[in-house]
Amino acid sequence: MSRLSLGLLAAIVLAASASLLAGKVWVPFEAFVSDDPRWQIIAELRLPRTLLALLVGGGLGLSGAVMQGYLRNPLADPGLFGVSAGAALGAVLSLFFGFASGWLLPAFALAGAAAAMAILALLVGRSGSIIVFTLAGVIVSSVAGSMTALAISLAPTPFATTQIVTWLMGALTDRSWDDVWLALPLIAAGSALLALTGRTLDALTLGESAARSMGVDPLRLQLLVVAGVALCVGASVAAAGVIGFVGLIVPHLVRPFVGHRPSAVLLPSALAGALLLLVADVAVRALPSVSELRLGIAMSMIGGPFFLVLLLRMRRNLA
Amino acid sequence: MSSLAVNALTLTLGGRRVLGGIDAAFQPGRVTAVLGPNGAGKSTLLACLAGLRTPDSGEVVLDGQRRAAIPRRDLARRIGLLPQTADVHWDVDVETLVALGRYPHRGRWGESPADRAAIASAMAATDVSQFAARPVTSLSGGERARVLLARVLAGAPEWLLADEPLANLDPAHQLDALDLLRAVATAGAGVIVVLHDLNQALRVADAVLLLRAGQVVAAGPPDEVLTPQRIAETYGVAAHIGTTPGGQRYLIATHREPR
Amino acid sequence: MRWRKSLAAALALTAISGCTAAADDAVPPPARPLRVVSINPCVDAVMMQVADRAQIAGISHYSQDPRATSLPLALARQFPATSGTVEEVVMLAPDLVIAGGHVAPATIAALARLKIPLIQIGVPATIAESQAQIATIAKAVGHANRGAALNNRISKAVRSASRPAIYPIPALIWQGGGLVPGDGTLAGELLAVSGYRNMSADYGLKSWDVLPLEHLVARPPRLLLSISAPAQTDRMLSHPVLSSLGAHITVRPFPERLLHCGGPTIIAALGHLSAIRRTL
Repeated sequence: MSRLSLGLLAAIVLAASASLLAGKVWVPFEAFVSDDPRWQIIAELRLPRTLLALLVGGGLGLSGAVMQGYLRNPLADPGLFGVSAGAALGAVLSLFFGFASGWLLPAFALAGAAAAMAILALLVGRSGSIIVFTLAGVIVSSVAGSMTALAISLAPTPFATTQIVTWLMGALTDRSWDDVWLALPLIAAGSALLALTGRTLDALTLGESAARSMGVDPLRLQLLVVAGVALCVGASVAAAGVIGFVGLIVPHLVRPFVGHRPSAVLLPSALAGALLLLVADVAVRALPSVSELRLGIAMSMIGGPFFLVLLLRMRRNLA
Repeated sequence: MSSLAVNALTLTLGGRRVLGGIDAAFQPGRVTAVLGPNGAGKSTLLACLAGLRTPDSGEVVLDGQRRAAIPRRDLARRIGLLPQTADVHWDVDVETLVALGRYPHRGRWGESPADRAAIASAMAATDVSQFAARPVTSLSGGERARVLLARVLAGAPEWLLADEPLANLDPAHQLDALDLLRAVATAGAGVIVVLHDLNQALRVADAVLLLRAGQVVAAGPPDEVLTPQRIAETYGVAAHIGTTPGGQRYLIATHREPR
Repeated sequence: MRWRKSLAAALALTAISGCTAAADDAVPPPARPLRVVSINPCVDAVMMQVADRAQIAGISHYSQDPRATSLPLALARQFPATSGTVEEVVMLAPDLVIAGGHVAPATIAALARLKIPLIQIGVPATIAESQAQIATIAKAVGHANRGAALNNRISKAVRSASRPAIYPIPALIWQGGGLVPGDGTLAGELLAVSGYRNMSADYGLKSWDVLPLEHLVARPPRLLLSISAPAQTDRMLSHPVLSSLGAHITVRPFPERLLHCGGPTIIAALGHLSAIRRTL
């Protein structure tokens, strides 16, 4: 593992410790060891929440790195496939129809993700073409997004509307071990698939013709990418709502430190994504605001300034 | 001894007949120049040879085996393609880029000594070793072209297919690249190169395949194929062919000539 | 293919974990809880009337916000407030939690996992429903008699607000951006009871719907109760077309916090509406 990855891992350990201690309620150290009922907060609320932040952030970071490598575009984002839109639609429908108890909401979300993937596969067929693929993703996203908006507008009362909109903004509040056991196998499976794409993404640096002449199978790559991203993103949305920007920002931050090679970006992106989301989650909990800032909102607030810095740097290089 | 041939290769793309029944045989250890005017089907022929396109009818035969029957990875090890578009999508350094050429030979665990040796010799042959740690985007067009050539050489293919590899090079480096192609052929590989400049073909080619509108006009040694009549028929220009005092053949297009 | 197997395994795991979660059914609440935490401002208002002070371990942070509270602020500030996350609730060590109807599923699941009894009180659609909710809350905190007393006060307020001889004035409640509570909502019933006719049905609106200005102009109500009056911050209401109707429509303010909650706020709402009625 490179120095960067080791550094990120160390930072994650620190952040995780902070995550267990921090919140609206600062749990003192004694509560950890004694039979304090506040131990419940750590064991049943903060520990699963910390793990979930790492899983979701890692999955999204890795997905973003693979997407950018696959599309050869540093502005690609895991949401481009439409899988997150599909998963969000599934969850919104479960809230809309009132089937949102226990594990029903994540199940609906996963069903939405699977449906989005199936439609994507249908639209794309056997062509390995990137353009067809991107366009199909846009179609799935738009349709799912418009149906989500429709559901919101048809909500029977303004309170139901608020509930749906709030869920969509993404949060890790009050997540439990159930959510961890749901997300863990899916994100692990998705990450395993995505990890297999590393060397092939390297070969794609030379463009599709050269890569294919070196033996790259574009269809197999597409399958790995779609399945891997769908698993990671679908599970993330099911657990935490829509959280953007992690997959977009993190590979950018990591890339210059690893020599821009796509395969080298994968692991650091996963670790950096995990770290970013965890730190953001700690921040929204510990901030002195009356109620917790929604995590998805916090990520969007980071996104704007990040792109501003990127733009300024680009202008400087071009000038 | 390796052999590569095409039999009755036809391919229609977007309603247009790009290859209309091509028969050709290529020799290892020799440089074959594929020539012809724009739209003759030169790049498409290379794409079919490398397995990037499937012909509508006819076949590509490698060492007596139909190309379609050869596993993808095996084919990639034996045939190396340097395409016309010099894409480099990420700002990697030169050594990393050249190392990508070892992809067809990739083992389970990272780089092997054989890999490192192949990369080093490819970089030395193309005179880019001094750029090893520099990002590719900081190189000039000509330097980048040499790096991309090094990439395909690093794969040590039996057949090297190059589509207009000299486009961005200054005259000195053009000569170097032509000498390099000759050296690769002398070392035993078969070199098939699409060229635009007929003088380059005269300098380096052992054999010429002249195409026009998807058909073979002529095939054979350069002196036999590149005659003024053939050139007038194929390119529509009158050409003056001469020899320098040093024995180098050259060709100058003087004026247009109706076909 | 490998990923298909992983997906199948993952779904199986989900189903299993789902079953175990469902097995932890809702924990029955104690007969007279010692520490009750409410995370809903409407419930807070009821709690203040039916529970002992010592029983109230926590209220919603909305009750301490002057714009959203149904309680006198001075009273609200005497209690600890939470933003509704389970972490904060657990810190207050409750033996009963009362929440609203649209609480996040994750919060409900977390409370169940931690074996904390939870009662959910939805948004009441009629006065009778609100009274039933008051009875439920009062019984849950072990003071059913206080609940009955509160319900009596509400019934009395309803009786005094609805004097049969009055001609019902056509009225409309305007929540902002065109949102209008119609038939089948508590606000709609409050209007009906205090001598108004809710015009939303005339426009063909559902129980919560958006009314385009055109319809408003075509058939103006006699009274428009706007939650943003007199500040006129509502964009639609400051539309020039309405100024021409100035003489025909009377606009009066209606505090938003009296609109949804029900419970004790019904008394205040009816008083407010009756007062306006007397001036027309």
